[in-house]
Amino acid sequence: MAQPRVFCLVLLTVALGAQALTPSHHLSLSDVDRLKGLLSQPFTDLASAYYSIVGLSKLGASVADENDACQFLKAQLDPMSVDSLFFAAEASQAIADCEVSIFNETRDILLAAVSEDSTVTQIFRAVSALSSLGLPLASQEVVAALVARIAKEDNVLAITTALQTATRLSQQAELGGILEEIEDLAARLDDLGGVYLQFEEGLEATALFVTAAYTLSDHADTEPPLKEDQVIQLVNSVFSKKSWDSRSEAFSVACAAAALSSNRFHVPVIVSTQGPATVSHSQPILHLLVTDILSNPLASANLLVESAQAVASKSVVLSQAPFSLRNGIFELNFMASQPASGYYQFTVAVTGDSRLVANQVELKVKVSTEVAVTNMDLSVVDKDQSIGTKTSRVDYPFKAKGSFTADSHQNFAMNFQLVDANTGVELTPHQTFVRFHNQKTGQEVVFVAEPDSKNLYKFELDTAERKSEFDSMSGTYVLHLIVGDATLENPILWNVADVVLKFLDEEAPAAIQSKTLYMPKPDIQHLFREPEKKPPTVVSNTFTALVLSPFLLLLILWFKLGANISNFSLSPSSVLFHVGHACMLGLMYVYWTHLNMFQTLKYLAIIGSLTFLAGNRMLAQKAVKRYGQSSTLTFFTRSTCEN
Amino acid sequence: MSNSVISVISRFLEEYTTKTSNKLKVVDAYLFYILLTGALQFLYCLLVGTFPFNSFLAGFILCVGAFILGVCLRIQINPDNKGDFLSISQERAFADFLLAHTVLHLVVINFIG
Repeated sequence: MAQPRVFCLVLLTVALGAQALTPSHHLSLSDVDRLKGLLSQPFTDLASAYYSIVGLSKLGASVADENDACQFLKAQLDPMSVDSLFFAAEASQAIADCEVSIFNETRDILLAAVSEDSTVTQIFRAVSALSSLGLPLASQEVVAALVARIAKEDNVLAITTALQTATRLSQQAELGGILEEIEDLAARLDDLGGVYLQFEEGLEATALFVTAAYTLSDHADTEPPLKEDQVIQLVNSVFSKKSWDSRSEAFSVACAAAALSSNRFHVPVIVSTQGPATVSHSQPILHLLVTDILSNPLASANLLVESAQAVASKSVVLSQAPFSLRNGIFELNFMASQPASGYYQFTVAVTGDSRLVANQVELKVKVSTEVAVTNMDLSVVDKDQSIGTKTSRVDYPFKAKGSFTADSHQNFAMNFQLVDANTGVELTPHQTFVRFHNQKTGQEVVFVAEPDSKNLYKFELDTAERKSEFDSMSGTYVLHLIVGDATLENPILWNVADVVLKFLDEEAPAAIQSKTLYMPKPDIQHLFREPEKKPPTVVSNTFTALVLSPFLLLLILWFKLGANISNFSLSPSSVLFHVGHACMLGLMYVYWTHLNMFQTLKYLAIIGSLTFLAGNRMLAQKAVKRYGQSSTLTFFTRSTCEN
Repeated sequence: MSNSVISVISRFLEEYTTKTSNKLKVVDAYLFYILLTGALQFLYCLLVGTFPFNSFLAGFILCVGAFILGVCLRIQINPDNKGDFLSISQERAFADFLLAHTVLHLVVINFIG
């Protein structure tokens, strides 16, 4: 009965919005084995023994050596500790014929732990131990203690533990208040993208919550207040992790898996394909597996195709067709409805059990086929249509006998049809390429053949127009036809013929483009800006002397006019003025050679202000002297050279 | 026609040498010098080319500026124009001349490169 099953994701459809969520994660058989493997690791203390033994029993397996385990439990038991009693009692329950011995004080110790002063975990462990050991306990007291503790410890783990505790109590007890906690706790879950629903405390808390909620709902015979979408999101969260960090995490996942696959209210169903979802004429049957989240096949389930719609044409090919069950796999012969090749959107529904959740699933199925090339006609057409065309028919997979020659006056043409080999329907695959390959130069030119309105493929090569693609290299080209598509089982690479192409103005056979493409290109030398042509030094020197010569003329003229500095008074202000003025002119020269504007302005401000003050004084004195001498004209000293 | 031009020129020269004061002639000699310098720079530029164009501009503008300032000084110190420049004494005119020249030099040296 055990058949190899491949883990396959079921596609989520969110496009239409009205579609229900389907689980994107579950435990495949290999995942279950891995989980069992983690739990089967040797245990060193009571807690790990408990997780392993009870966890494996939830998965329907058991520890390697049960007797050994039982002895271990008995040896490790500390009858004074509530935790120890809990682990030992629960674990021994899971092993057949394993009894843990109890003392008189055991009951008292356990009952003492059930009170408002112990933590919820303590109460849970005490109650579980009591019920596993078959000792009587007062359910109502426990309920009261739990309610009191929930009010004090308001965290997720505490309330989950309280829920677990309630599953051990008698059904007559007042469990209503505790049942309401399920809904409150569910409200605390975080919705991640509409796909995952989990507690921020992590995977373990979420898994324990799922276990507790369903176990308690089963115990109290009330449907848990979780909507279908929430259940699926919880499934996604709990089973998305495929390798677990600790034994306790693995234990929580195992408990959650067991709870979700066998409770009385909600059983999430997984529909998956066995292998790729492809049908063809050679494999006309679509195989589907319907399992629960532990990948166990559902006992009573019926699979029905509600509708199968072609993706391309949106026409419904099949509706309300049932699958037949054979050896645990659901089969449907889809090719019997003679679908054209392409993709189909299937909507399948699982019926037969009112507990099933997410029982409407969308699948994409591919129908593939084989293509055949028919009516392949090769011809050389004269451009001006004066000479009749020469057409030859070539059959796949043979090659045309002669070669075809086309020069610049002629076109080479190719017509063919692509049909479905099984049904004879015309096909338009994604890839229909015509490839020319020059054996000598290694050139390869690829063109696309396009279908016309009647789905007839035509390809025409105008030698004159296309010569640039061929680099005007005349010669023999081998012609291949390439046909491919995702829905074709037999892609075609067909050497159809040899074509001799003659181009005008054939360039000298230069090295092929591709060869030089990856070689280093010639270096580019950087050309610095050429300095401007300067006149020869002689010329510029001559003109410098020439430009300075008028100064001599000026001095001569002044001498002739009788300008003199006889009126130069040696007062401190005039000396200072002349010195300052000379400094300013010197500063101009220094500015030209060394300084920048800011420095110059700084020095100019200092020297200038001194010169100004001195000059002011000097000129005032001069003015006074001038007004004193009314008849004599005073010459200004021209001892300052301006240029 | 040329006769009248020659007579005008000779009359002008005669009036100039006799009527203008020495002070003004000194300034005129200075102006003539500036003129010559500027003309020679321009001639060089025409003949050889504008290679360091900024240098040529700097030199030429200095000559032009100095000529203008010289002309201003001459106008202001001419006693015949005293009525137009009542508030400006000769010393003041000279001080203005020097200040303007300082600024001109600063700009020209900045530009000469």
